[in-house]
Amino acid sequence: MSELETTQRPSWWKRSDAKKAIFLWVIFTAIIGYTASIIQSRAMGSPASENMSNTINMVKIFTWAAAPVAGLVAALTITTLLGQRHFGDNPPPEAEHEIRNSPRVAATWVVVSTLLCLFAVIYGMVLVQADENKLRTANPINIDVTGQQWVWNFKYVDNGGAQSADLYLPVNKPVLFHVTSTDVMHSFWIVQMGIKVDANPGYVTETGTTPNKIGVYDLRCAELCGLYHAYMQKKVHVVSQADYDAWVQNQGGNA
Amino acid sequence: MTTMMNRPASAPGDASGRKPLIERLNIVTALVVGTVSAIVIWQLALHFLPQDAETASFFNREDKISLMSLIAWFVGFMTGIGALIGPFRWAFGKDLNHDENMFLAGKDQGIKRYFRYTTDHKVVGIQYLVITIIILFVGGTLAMLIRTNLGHPQGGWIHPQAYNAIVGWHGIIMIVATIIMITGPFGNFIMPIMIGARDMAFPRLNALSFWLIVAAIPPVFISFFTGGITTGWSAYNPLASQAGLGMNGYIAFICIFAISTMVAGANITTTVVKMRAKGMTWNRTPIFIYGVVASVALALPAFPVFFLSQIMSAMDRAFATSFYNSAAGGSGWLYENLFWIMGHPEVYVILIPSVAALMEMAPVFTRRPLFSFNLAIMGIAGISGLSVLVWAHHMYISGWAPLLNAPFMLTTELISIPTGMLFLVLIGTLWRGRLWMTMPLMSIFALLWNFMIGGITGIYLSDVPADAFLHGSMYVTAHFHYTLMGAGLTGALASLVYWFPKMTGRMFDKTLSWVSFWLVQIGFNVAFIGMFLVGLAGQPRRVESYASIFNKGNLITTMGAYTIMAGMLVLLHGVISSWRNGVKAPMNPWQAKTLEWTVANPVPLENFETLPVITSDPYGYGKAQS
Repeated sequence: MSELETTQRPSWWKRSDAKKAIFLWVIFTAIIGYTASIIQSRAMGSPASENMSNTINMVKIFTWAAAPVAGLVAALTITTLLGQRHFGDNPPPEAEHEIRNSPRVAATWVVVSTLLCLFAVIYGMVLVQADENKLRTANPINIDVTGQQWVWNFKYVDNGGAQSADLYLPVNKPVLFHVTSTDVMHSFWIVQMGIKVDANPGYVTETGTTPNKIGVYDLRCAELCGLYHAYMQKKVHVVSQADYDAWVQNQGGNA
Repeated sequence: MTTMMNRPASAPGDASGRKPLIERLNIVTALVVGTVSAIVIWQLALHFLPQDAETASFFNREDKISLMSLIAWFVGFMTGIGALIGPFRWAFGKDLNHDENMFLAGKDQGIKRYFRYTTDHKVVGIQYLVITIIILFVGGTLAMLIRTNLGHPQGGWIHPQAYNAIVGWHGIIMIVATIIMITGPFGNFIMPIMIGARDMAFPRLNALSFWLIVAAIPPVFISFFTGGITTGWSAYNPLASQAGLGMNGYIAFICIFAISTMVAGANITTTVVKMRAKGMTWNRTPIFIYGVVASVALALPAFPVFFLSQIMSAMDRAFATSFYNSAAGGSGWLYENLFWIMGHPEVYVILIPSVAALMEMAPVFTRRPLFSFNLAIMGIAGISGLSVLVWAHHMYISGWAPLLNAPFMLTTELISIPTGMLFLVLIGTLWRGRLWMTMPLMSIFALLWNFMIGGITGIYLSDVPADAFLHGSMYVTAHFHYTLMGAGLTGALASLVYWFPKMTGRMFDKTLSWVSFWLVQIGFNVAFIGMFLVGLAGQPRRVESYASIFNKGNLITTMGAYTIMAGMLVLLHGVISSWRNGVKAPMNPWQAKTLEWTVANPVPLENFETLPVITSDPYGYGKAQS
């Protein structure tokens, strides 16, 4: 180290290419973070449950956390590309300095990436725990979901066991799905509510949410289940409590 | 006189005029023996296997027959190519003599040695290169069928059954192509020269690992005509047990390929550990060697599990066992676990050698040492170690074990730390360097860009709440294409251009390499950014038709895919035209310092006249001036 200090090289941040890289880093971070989070959240559409709002927020936050990393990689590589380029069939002259390592840079890099990684892990775990707790403490409507090639069947156990091939849910009421299958694996995915769980033959899996907006949403099978997998879709109708009660009675259940 | 007495059969003009058996076997005899034995067993089984009882709950006579025919094909093919000559001779106490070994090494046989059970590592390397190109060509054609079908709104002109079969076929053969695309051609041709060895540790196992892949391809090809692999490449049970006879082709394919990978893994690992040149300590071993060893060593625990999972699948089909049948006490989750215990290390089997190959090229094209060699090794070791502990992140939403989601989320996201180290090594080597603008150098930049997107989207997917939304959507497809293709294939194409002069004796056409590079990279980013968007909007994977809101994204993806195809065809043209009449390559066109560039073109049979002695690492660029 002492050798390096005595050579009187200017501090690294004063060098022109370092300045250029830092400038580009800031620019790229802003561009990548802004465009990526806008494009992604727009593609994910408007949420119909708190799970989905959380997921969209998480994607946004992760994008902003990742933007400086992506921006740094982009800034460093583009600065390098704008630097000395050599064309031809013979190699350029060899480097003047034999830089084989920089413990300080390496250590900083590893520490920062570890911190980012731990942030992602902890954030995810907190969110999982929160969802899990909500599912357990609420007093939900129970619905049995059965997948079979290539339809869904719903049984409203809390409403006198009414059955239907359409999914109707009351707004702002927690709902717990007990999901199973009669043949192969399917995956029960209500897109705009951000929930998904596999339907396995012989087992019952659970997932739940609270729809918070009246509307029509998409239920899709997300696990290849044979010939008409692509067509194993349904609409999910979220309606007011009164409409829901009427619909259930219409189906032969009790409200 | 006595030598003549000892081996009368190998004398060229002996009385009968017939060449000895070992010289008569080649790919033609293998195909004939394989086909004949398959047909014989098929007919015998048809005649003698009892019919299923009409009251039986499973009908599996056809599965038994097709599995037996496939096994017969495999045994027949390997016998016909001559894989059994060595073991038989050894068992009867008469090992091969020197002349026979030289024959097997392909001495003085010209083009014919590429169609035989040849043990020379350079012949095996070229064989692997050609078969990789063929598989990529078929897989790419299938990808274009998929994209053409999806480019058309509201589903396409391909029947759902055929579409599912194409998706499965594309998936599995591309996985195989990407697994072998670096460790096969370059791990076999370049690696032994790079470490200063005359051949692999077990040359006959080397030939075996290649011909096993050739034997594995017809079953998967035939499966397309017997119902197809309609389950996607993951072949989840119970969907796979429900699928038609095509699944037996998949099972045979995977089992044979798994043996090939295990054989190659044992061979390459032993070669690197035992046969490095004098003075090549671990600190002086090139980073590419670490990448190859990490890759094949990861395959060693992974592929036996894959093999086993398929044996169990075959037993469920043919003998009505119930490993995966939940109605009779089995579980589909068992299959998922076995599959992903192989499946996640397997992606790093593909990725690590690709990144390591580019790390090998970075010093050459910037004329400076590799930045932080130790960190590169730590990165490779860290990824390899963690990758066997993350498999259940593919099963977050399967319902198998919700309590394990948190620990698997932790191990998965920890992988970003060693991955970051590899990024630092590459960027550190490039930073402020004088860039020799060639296609391999630009591939490093392309890898950094693509792998960054692939890696960051991987972090979204590894977080359980986000995965509950994204799992099973096109987002996942886009993510793993960014890693396996954007990073993996980019490194393989760079390796092709970089090592082409040594392998063929001719330079790769520069213009064609640039044209193909830009077409592939631009097309790639267009195609898979479009796929991310439809995934986020909620399009599931493996669907042959979709809602109209996904039209635009799918059209973008299809246009990108056609651009990739154009780029790959340009590259193929470059390979063929440069191989046939490219500029003759000098011994060391890149003026690199690793050992493979110190041997003449074409590389002599045993590589080195005198084995080299190593006194420094191969990254000593810039020492003279400092």
